Formats: sequence, structure tokens, C-alpha cells
Amino acid sequence: MKLNENINHVPVGPFHPLLEEAEYFNLTVEGETVVDIDMDIGWMHRGHEFISEQKTFTQSIFLVERICGICSTSHPLACVHAFEDVDNTEIPERAAYIRSLVGELERIHSHLLWLGLAGHFIGYDTLWMWSWKYREPVLQMMEIISGNRNHYGMMRIGGVARDVNPDRINALLPILDMLEKKVNMIVAAAKDDPVLKSRLKGVGVLTKKDAIEMCATGPTSRASGVPGDVRADEPNDAYRWLDFQVIVTENGDVWDKLVIRLLEMLESTKMCRQCLDKLTTAKGPILNDVKEISAGEGIGRYEAPRGEVFHYVRTDGTNRAIRHKVRAPSYVNIPTFKASCKGIPIADALITLASVDPCYCCTERALRVKGEHPNAIDFLKQSRDKTERIRREIHGH
Amino acid sequence: MDRSDRTDDFLKKFKGKIQNVIRKPKRLYFEVNNEDLREIAKYIFHDMGCRLSTATATEVYDAIEVLYQFSHDPSGCYFCPRIRIKDKKNPVMNSITPVVRGAEWIEREMFDFWGVTFLDHPRPERLLAREHPKNLDKPLRFGRIS
Amino acid sequence: MGWYNKRLAKSIWVFHVSASPCNNCDIEILDLLTPKYDVERLGVKLVGSIRHADVLLVTGVMNQKIAPKVRKIYEQAPKPIFVVGVGTCPSGGCCFNDSYNITHDREAVIPYDIYIPGCPPKPEAMIAGVAKLMEVLNG
Repeated sequence: MKLNENINHVPVGPFHPLLEEAEYFNLTVEGETVVDIDMDIGWMHRGHEFISEQKTFTQSIFLVERICGICSTSHPLACVHAFEDVDNTEIPERAAYIRSLVGELERIHSHLLWLGLAGHFIGYDTLWMWSWKYREPVLQMMEIISGNRNHYGMMRIGGVARDVNPDRINALLPILDMLEKKVNMIVAAAKDDPVLKSRLKGVGVLTKKDAIEMCATGPTSRASGVPGDVRADEPNDAYRWLDFQVIVTENGDVWDKLVIRLLEMLESTKMCRQCLDKLTTAKGPILNDVKEISAGEGIGRYEAPRGEVFHYVRTDGTNRAIRHKVRAPSYVNIPTFKASCKGIPIADALITLASVDPCYCCTERALRVKGEHPNAIDFLKQSRDKTERIRREIHGH
Repeated sequence: MDRSDRTDDFLKKFKGKIQNVIRKPKRLYFEVNNEDLREIAKYIFHDMGCRLSTATATEVYDAIEVLYQFSHDPSGCYFCPRIRIKDKKNPVMNSITPVVRGAEWIEREMFDFWGVTFLDHPRPERLLAREHPKNLDKPLRFGRIS
Repeated sequence: MGWYNKRLAKSIWVFHVSASPCNNCDIEILDLLTPKYDVERLGVKLVGSIRHADVLLVTGVMNQKIAPKVRKIYEQAPKPIFVVGVGTCPSGGCCFNDSYNITHDREAVIPYDIYIPGCPPKPEAMIAGVAKLMEVLNG
């Protein structure tokens, strides 16, 4: 790049009011336009794979829960699937329903969290306060089931750790009824909102070809028309018996990702109700106690709210794994930013990155994204043009 | 959607090029040579329509093993080619990034933590331990100082 | 500076520093601002700049890459500043003590005044921690 006195470097991070986690962006700005982005992450890396080689199986499950606080049960679920895959261990029916109940409740709370943060990033604090207010009943239900609002500690190899007995189910059902009404209200309000539509439609489009080539997963790829969902492709736990739909849309922009997350919340409330109904009638143990795991390899995965969480373990017959590999969905979803952010203004760049629902502590790696903007445009003029267009749409002329 | 299992077709097609096949329900692990890796990866990714989940590097007593994990989403099966690099002092192998674009960071991570050099990788730089104050070097190999 | 501390305790402005957390404590800190717990009625506000802060809320087990930056943040804060470590990670390292990448002696980087243990600590526990700080400041 030639030396030009108009070029400035704007460092953002690692500590910044808009950033929840520590990330470092280095924006190269020429005049008013961003021409280059350099990203550096590694501030969250705590060495999980290294520590996991020194812990026993049950300690590993405790450890992987603390990779991320938002997808707190996705990592243990994928981890126990991996350990059970080594010997093809079966789990009891009651344990399967409890696992799916906890997983789907976590999906509701994570999507409400994302909705609130998306509202906060575009300056819509009302949406933030309302969606986080209705996260509280979900966390209350989790506290009734497991004893803690996050980091539940429910998963064991061969089943679950705690049972959901009838008086707990009677405490959960009224909260679920109230939650279903409120989630329906939020979904209807968000889908009809003119502010969200005008800010998010057509922004940050990820084409189907890019989504397939960059191996994206979860709502990021389902918004671009790629129908992949681990719950339907490799159904284990109770997903073999539950009735649900996989939501896929075509356009690949941020609005589609919002719609997918809203509709998935509705599906999750229906699935929770089915699980609770089955738990009143299903009988049997909740744990198939596994005494030892033979030498071999196992692959386990789970559909987290952000995409596919992947765990691979290699065992040698002792009570420790000799290799435990973790791959979080944000690791493959964040590179799609490179493809979906070409030629859009700065204000839209932030919400596009947030639409991928990045969880940097899950990613735990450093990445360097350099994107030259070949069509560097005048930001101020583009902003005025967009306001004019929206005004014409609202007033109908 | 066609959710049929493609494992038998795959095994028939590449009969001479794969060894040490471990077949489990919905999982297929097999060993390939460095020279055949790109051709097999191209077939799995483009012709069979699989998605690369990730790749794992493990150090065993006589080699460094790199295991790629490709997921065939319609049937829920995994196809996992394994490469064994015997030279532990200077491990080198072919990169599949020219064929599978999503493998770029996955291979950079293995370069950072294990020191495996991938030939023809478009950006062979360290991913995590760049500008680290304690100069972290290949922290997941044996003989590391913790 | 007893009179200064008493004025400070009426409305504490906090700045959130995330030094390699798992994000759970950070989400619970944000939860304090939402309608159910609502700490703004106690005068506690989350600020965007370190220069406006009275209290630093530090979460996470500090890893070696971020430790110099946290020290820099502490030095930039106008004194007196109080440091509250939220969660089990700053208190005892949680389960990460075997890792190659974390700082084992966190007190050498910045001095912590109050620890609020819990994984994550309940919002009620965090409010109790803030109330204890106010009590100490009031003498």
C-alpha cells in the first residue's frame, strides 16, 4: 500500500464499550471509507485441549462446559456423544428426553440473547430490554431442573445426572405456558417491525456457493439455502422421536438469519412441551453406568444455537482421553464475514458480523482477516442515499 | 432428500488407494498416502457433496497423524482420511486448501500448534501465537514445558 | 479522603474488563441491567470509558496475551479505583490451573479488592458484593 497522508489506522479493542469480549480490530480508513480490516484474536485462549488430556472423562465433561457460557450445554452434549460413539453405548429413554429438554431450553435462551444484542447493536435498546426480560423465565426453568442458571452439569456418559420428577414437572408447566405466549408476542412484533426490516433486509448477503465452500454451519448456512441440521441428519437422544421442522430460507441476508432464529424459538417451545409430556409417562433409569471405554475413536456432534459443535476423542482403554479435539461453530462461521461484507457501509458491517452470532471464547483462536474493498465508496453519500430511499418507502413516494 | 449411505460406493471406487479401513455404523476411518490425498479430498468434497467439519492432528510415538473429518449431511455419515507423517522433526504434507476453501484456518491452526508444514497453502502464517508475549512455540507437542 | 469515598458510594460507575472469561459472568453482569434486577436504581451504571469508572469488574482467568493489556487499563484508570473480581476464575482459576497459557499470579498484575465467587455468581450475589463495597466505602 503506498504511503498516503489520508490513510489512518483506527484500532478498536481489545477493550471497547461495544465489545463484550476482548477482540482487536485494526481498521484502515481512507477518508471516510474502510479499505482494510485486520482482526487479531487469541485473548481468550485457555488451552482446553491441553488440559483435557490430563483429566478423566467425567472431569472433561465439567471442563468443556466452561468453554462458553452461552452454549453451555452444547459442548457437554457433543462431548458425551463422542465418548458414547467409541463403543456405541445406548442411553435410556428418560435420559434422552431430559437431554433434549435441556438442549432446547438452551436454544430459546440463546436466541433471545442474540435478539437482544442485535437490537443493542443497531441502537434499538427496547428490543434488548424486552427480549432479555423474557429470558428470565427460561433461566428459572433451568434452575428448577438443574440447580443453576447456567453451567448445568447435567450430562454424564450413558445418561444424565439428575432426574426431573413429577413435582418439578408441575412447577415447569405454568412457566412454559407463560413463556410460549410471550415468545409468540416477541416473534410477531419483531417480524412486523419496520425499523428492523429497513435496517436488516438485503444487508450482508452470503451466497449459497460461498456458504458451501467455506463450510459454514447452523443458521448462517440455513439462511443461504443449505439444508443442514444435525438434529435431522444424525438424530440421537430424543430427536429420533420428536416432531419438529428444519427452517431454511433463501436470501442469505441478516433479515433471514433473524427470521430463522425467531421461528426456531417457536419450534423449540413446542419440542419442550413434547418432552415434558413424555417425561410424565416414560419410566426407567436415567443413567446407563459405563464402567470403562475401550480403545478407539469417537466423533460426537450436536446442533448448538450457532451451528454444529464437533468433538473428537481418541481413547486407549484407560480413564483418560489421549486426544480431545473441540471445534466450535463460530470457528467456521466467522470467516464468512470475508465473503458477506464486500462493499457495504461501516454501520452495516457491525450488524453483519453480529448476525453470525460469534462467540469468540468458543472460537479461542486467532484469525487474521484482510479484506480489500475494491469498490471503496463514499460513506457519507451512501448514508444519505439510504435515508432518502427509506423515507420514500415509508411515505410511499 | 436422498439420505442413503454412500460408504459402499466410496470403498469400491478407491479400492487400491486406501488402507487400514475401520468401519463403524456411520463412521469410516481410512489411511491414504500424501500423493492421493488431494484427489480423494476433491472427490469427497465436490462429487459427494460433503462438508469439512474439521481436522485433528495427534502425535503418536512413531508419527504425527492428521485426520480430516468430512460430514455427509444427508446421510449423517463421516468420511475421515488419515495421513501419517513419519518424519517428526520436520513434518510436511500436501494442503487441501486449493481444493477445499474452508480448510484454510484449520490447517493454519495445525501449523501453529504442531509445526506441520502444508505445501501450497495460500497463507502459511501462525494463527494464534502471533505476537504472544511469552513466544509460545508448538505448545501441543510432546516434550513441551507447561 | 473519607468524604470522597462517601460521595462515591452513592453512585458507583463500573467498567467491565473481560480478561479471558467464558462469557457467563459477563452475561450475568449485563443481566443486572435488565428489568428483573435493574441495578440502575441503585445508581450503578456501566460506562464506556475507563476514565469515567470508579470500579473495575474483572472477569475471567487472565491469559498471558491479555495480561499486559489489563495492566495498562488499570494504569489508565483515575485513582482511587477499586477492582472487583467476578466469578471463580479470578478467585482461584476454576479448572484452568493446568494450562500453559494462563497467568497463575493474577494479584501481581492488578490488585483485587473484592472477590465474588460462583460459576457464575447469581445476580443477587453480585448485588450483595456491590452493597458490601458501598458499606466499606461508607466507613
